[in-house]
Amino acid sequence: MAKTYDYLFKLLLIGDSGVGKTSILFRFSEDAFNISFISTIGIDFKIRTIDLDGKKVKLQIWDTAGQERFRTITTAYYRGSMGIMLVYDVTNEKSFENIKNWIRNIEENASADVEKMILGNKCDLDSKRQVSKERGEQLAIEYQIKFVETSAKDSLNVEYAFYTLARDIKAKMEKKQEASNPPGGRSGAHQLKANEPQRKPTSWLSRCSVL
Amino acid sequence: MDDDLPTDFQVIVVGTGMVESIVAAACSRIGKNVLHLDLSDHYGGLWASYNFDGLQKFIKEVNSDPKRDLQVYNLCEKWYIEKESPEAKDGGDENKTDDSKAEPAKKTWSQSDFTAEYRKFNIDMTPKLLFSRGPLVELLISSNIARYAEFRCVTRVLTWLNNRLMPVPCSRADVFATEAVTTVEKRMLMKMLTSIVGYNEDEMNNEFKDWNDKTFQDYLKHKGLTPNLIHYVLFAIAGGNNNMPCLEGVKECKKFLMSLGRYGNTPFLWPMYGSGELPQCFCRLCAVFGGVYCLNRPIDKVGTKTVDEGKTVVTIESKAKTLNCDHLVIGINECPKELISPEPAESCDISKAVFITNGSIMASEKEPLSLLRFPPLADDDKAVTVLEVGPATGSCPKGLFVVYFIASKSKDAETDLKPYAERIFDMSGGDAESDKPKCLWSLFYNVKDTSAPVSSVVEGVHVCSGPDAGLDFDRAVEQAEQIFKKICPGEEFLPRAPDPEEIVFEDDVTHGPEFQRDHDDDEPKE
Repeated sequence: MAKTYDYLFKLLLIGDSGVGKTSILFRFSEDAFNISFISTIGIDFKIRTIDLDGKKVKLQIWDTAGQERFRTITTAYYRGSMGIMLVYDVTNEKSFENIKNWIRNIEENASADVEKMILGNKCDLDSKRQVSKERGEQLAIEYQIKFVETSAKDSLNVEYAFYTLARDIKAKMEKKQEASNPPGGRSGAHQLKANEPQRKPTSWLSRCSVL
Repeated sequence: MDDDLPTDFQVIVVGTGMVESIVAAACSRIGKNVLHLDLSDHYGGLWASYNFDGLQKFIKEVNSDPKRDLQVYNLCEKWYIEKESPEAKDGGDENKTDDSKAEPAKKTWSQSDFTAEYRKFNIDMTPKLLFSRGPLVELLISSNIARYAEFRCVTRVLTWLNNRLMPVPCSRADVFATEAVTTVEKRMLMKMLTSIVGYNEDEMNNEFKDWNDKTFQDYLKHKGLTPNLIHYVLFAIAGGNNNMPCLEGVKECKKFLMSLGRYGNTPFLWPMYGSGELPQCFCRLCAVFGGVYCLNRPIDKVGTKTVDEGKTVVTIESKAKTLNCDHLVIGINECPKELISPEPAESCDISKAVFITNGSIMASEKEPLSLLRFPPLADDDKAVTVLEVGPATGSCPKGLFVVYFIASKSKDAETDLKPYAERIFDMSGGDAESDKPKCLWSLFYNVKDTSAPVSSVVEGVHVCSGPDAGLDFDRAVEQAEQIFKKICPGEEFLPRAPDPEEIVFEDDVTHGPEFQRDHDDDEPKE
């Protein structure tokens, strides 16, 4: 089968429960917002392929499956992730304060060079706002991470956020490829598929996303 | 912060070991309301993988917690290298390895390098392999949980023969390529292996009915195999010893041979980042289907109470809260002893060791992933299984290898395993040149074998076994399915979870016009 994209990026959504991670995911992948989606049951990840500078970039965006609720995200969730959206709710001070804890969690578990971005979601709810945009910007400067306020409900900046993160990952990747040309250390690992003929060693699926 | 934990569930699972996690996933998958707890702050229990920092904490915890000591004991950690490397003083950060750069041939490692790169280690407490056509691989594929994990093929099977390491020819191509056996032996071996693969269960029982009280070794001798071939088949392929019963040997051989040719040169797969990832994959599926997760949650008491209509529920006291469920699935290490019946029979404990070395036990062009089956070196010894994994598996930084030793316990882990380690590593700790890789760090420990199935005196309480000494996960999968069938009779065990693209929402979803959507597989194909 011909490959329908040039790059595959695994992205994660991280942040406290109820900040709107699943809504952001649905806004971006389905261009939909519906309160009934809020329960994350059955949703692993969503896929959307975007076009960046003439390259087809397939984004595989993983939801936490509610495992953030009691801070019990599996270390396996972070494996192989290339970009992470750190999400807080501008109407919830605690979720903003917890961003620092999530960053620590990422540093502990994700690859050291994972791209990050901070999103202050629910910015449509201005009357209930507890966290000013300036404080969000300040935090982002402190950690040298990009930042944007979003509204999954009003479809504000969600596209922008994913495009920005994807572009940064792509740029980093292309820079790396120019600098040195070894295939990724992990190529050769593979996922198990039901319908693989798996006869000849040469036909194994490579896990490397740039081929 | 877990005060808002709901209190009523259909199924509560305590412990995140392999059996518990599979049961949790299976129950959640068919719609049961599941709470999954662990007493410690990480997943896996005795099945966990640790980074180097986490491992240090684990060692401290075991040494300071007498209760835990019952499961893991005789823990002995040792360094063979300096605290600081001499060049670190002026080199500063440059000593840190960079994944994108090729590592110089042999770096001089210091303890501080390990500390600095602690995150790059994933060290397993219960390292295990998967047979390519074994029950766990089939379950991962049929349930679609395979999408949470990645694997590497074991690249070679080695044995210790005539006082040196030898690759075991395990495919037809290997058999014919090897120079270690003569052409006549090759024919003999192929004939023997082909006939074993050909037997179905009945034929096997019939063919071997006169061999019930004899050893596999006797059978191989009877078949006229030469001593070299007997060594390959008995120790390396069947993973046996001199006393292995004949039928068991034949079955082990068949299992090995049946898993050949699916993914790589050998019948085995190793999970990326270690065996400890696998329970987490099942936990993820459980969570995706609504399972609630809470770690760091000690339980104080397990009891029962009768509610309306004489129905009995199991209750758990935890952090001043009472949690209720119809079924409690609990790891044997977490289960209050008075609930277990009968007391598990005294079994042979397990001796284990982990070594970190600066090179592979047998150099090869590409990074190897090796299974070494050591035959007993002395008459009353047990066979030792050795697994060597390198940086490509996410187990350690570049330039290092992690090597696991597993055997049934005779005396204690160090006494049992050190003589074997010394055959393949330079354990002198000196700078002297050696043709063997240098051992930089080692950990010996014994684990109580809690793998025998036990039942509970309380209805609705299901006890999960701990890790066994075996090479694969098959017993864990089998037990998990049995427990699931008791909890959910008549229900399908882990039916395939849909891919995200297959989930259609009934709500009116409008798609943005400007982007092309695709629905192909989420994996690159060539």
